[in-house]
Amino acid sequence: MREAVTSNICLTIEGLTKRFGGFYALNDLNMEVAQGHIHALIGPNGAGKTTFFNLLTGVLSADSGKIIFDGEALDDVRPSKRTLRGIARTFQNIRLFPHLTVIESVMIGEHCRAYPSVWKALSKAVFQPPFCEALEEREMRARAIELLEFLGLADKRDEKASDLPYGEQRKLEMARALATQPKLLLLDEPAAGMNPHETEELDDVITRIRDRGITIILVEHDMRLVMEISDRITVINFGIKIAEGPPDKIQNDPVVIEAYLGEDVQL
Amino acid sequence: MLGEMLDGYTRSLLIFAGINAIAAYSFYAPYKTGQVSLGQAGFMAVGAYASAVLTHKFGIPFAAAVVFGGILSGVIGVVVGFPALRIKGIYLLLLTLGFSEIISVIALSWDYIGGAQGFRGIPFNQYTLDYVVGIIVVLILLFARIERSSLGRAMDSIHQDETAAEVMGIDVVRIKLFAFGLGAVIAGVAGALYAHQATYIDSSTFNIMVSVEILMFVVVGGGSTYWGPVFGAAVLNAIPEVLRSLRDWLEIVPVAWTNFYPMNRIYDSLHDFLDFENAKRLIAFGLILILMMIFRPDGLLTRDSLHRLRFWHRKARHA
Repeated sequence: MREAVTSNICLTIEGLTKRFGGFYALNDLNMEVAQGHIHALIGPNGAGKTTFFNLLTGVLSADSGKIIFDGEALDDVRPSKRTLRGIARTFQNIRLFPHLTVIESVMIGEHCRAYPSVWKALSKAVFQPPFCEALEEREMRARAIELLEFLGLADKRDEKASDLPYGEQRKLEMARALATQPKLLLLDEPAAGMNPHETEELDDVITRIRDRGITIILVEHDMRLVMEISDRITVINFGIKIAEGPPDKIQNDPVVIEAYLGEDVQL
Repeated sequence: MLGEMLDGYTRSLLIFAGINAIAAYSFYAPYKTGQVSLGQAGFMAVGAYASAVLTHKFGIPFAAAVVFGGILSGVIGVVVGFPALRIKGIYLLLLTLGFSEIISVIALSWDYIGGAQGFRGIPFNQYTLDYVVGIIVVLILLFARIERSSLGRAMDSIHQDETAAEVMGIDVVRIKLFAFGLGAVIAGVAGALYAHQATYIDSSTFNIMVSVEILMFVVVGGGSTYWGPVFGAAVLNAIPEVLRSLRDWLEIVPVAWTNFYPMNRIYDSLHDFLDFENAKRLIAFGLILILMMIFRPDGLLTRDSLHRLRFWHRKARHA
């Protein structure tokens, strides 16, 4: 069944370049991400991976190049509108809302689908029934609980987001991103700060997200995780793509091994 | 109607305290999305002058003038809000401060609205207390509903991390603009009520200290819950009155106890201290602000402290 969907391209990057002063964070990057794939993006620190995510989500704007998502160019689209079109992300340095509870954080992700316009949100707020929860609110809560169960956080739903341990904060970031109902999910080092047991669970979680039909771009330093679950891997170094292919090919590519880990290291 | 039950002094005291509470909500609305404005006095001036022109020069009824003052101020608020979207923190403070100074310069130099002489003869409205009470109730209900809704949560998320909120699909631009405009409408209404109570306004009526006091109400009351602004305004308006009434109680101290040194000195300085007029009020406000920042930076009321009181509300949420 996977073979059938791989022919569709979810995301096309053409000549994407981003400079900070004289430093090229990304230099003429070209790549294609197939629908329904887990596509890993690896490279040493400072290779431009997080910059790539910032360009995709519109937090930064590119100096040149094109991003075509779902058949449409994303040139001047604001970050929130890109989320509405179906791109969601997690952050490498966790950015949860510290004063919101776990379930409220997930409901923030749902807001853009439930209330795409401010006026609709305002009229819903003003004309909500007194002394009980509005129907929409109950539905949002139910969906949030479903997502939290999916990620194993349901029993922590009323804790403050900032009180969770590190690994669970990462999971919460994923729940919040999934709540926006994305077609493409960008995971920025989801395994960072997780213990080996949690990382193994993560394998399963990411695969299950893919099986829901969501395309995933994964930036990760944990090579075991990357090699285990990726359908395709792109390696970049100093903003330039140096290799691309399925995991077994990348694993044995001498250029990758040298650039990424130095010589004589087995991936 | 309400006012008839009270003597003139209490009535005017309650009206000005109530206008302060309304003004505090005008600060609270943009603050809920993380925008700190020091220009709310400027929006009050817009509402005050606009409504005064309507009632004084065109004989339009008070209620309509108040509504118009609010709307005009809101329109100007959205215009000012656009550049305000791009900037944060100290720069937003300076932009709003600058706006409020521009308004006061316009008021000073435009002769049609009184210029340097000020705007005199604004018709006094005898039902202002009813309006004030009604508007505060409406504002509390409005912000209670926003806080309980998805919109309120979205506003909180913008306050806590704007970039993350934007990436989660929250329309940060529109929501911030809405909050800023709503704050301006409320400030305009507060200004219009003020004008028809004081009956005289000039370019210095709505100066920077007014904006600072408005900010104080929210800082002291608590900016994380909709009860904070009205509570802060009530507390800070009550303090001078309480101290003044304490001074009356000093009178019952027998003269025989205080007519010798050093008791006479102590009595006199206590007597002076409790007379809480302008300069002292500002010093005390400064002290309160410093103490609040040290001991309760989130204000007297916080959402957590209220949640502990409202256990029934929690239960309802989990049902």
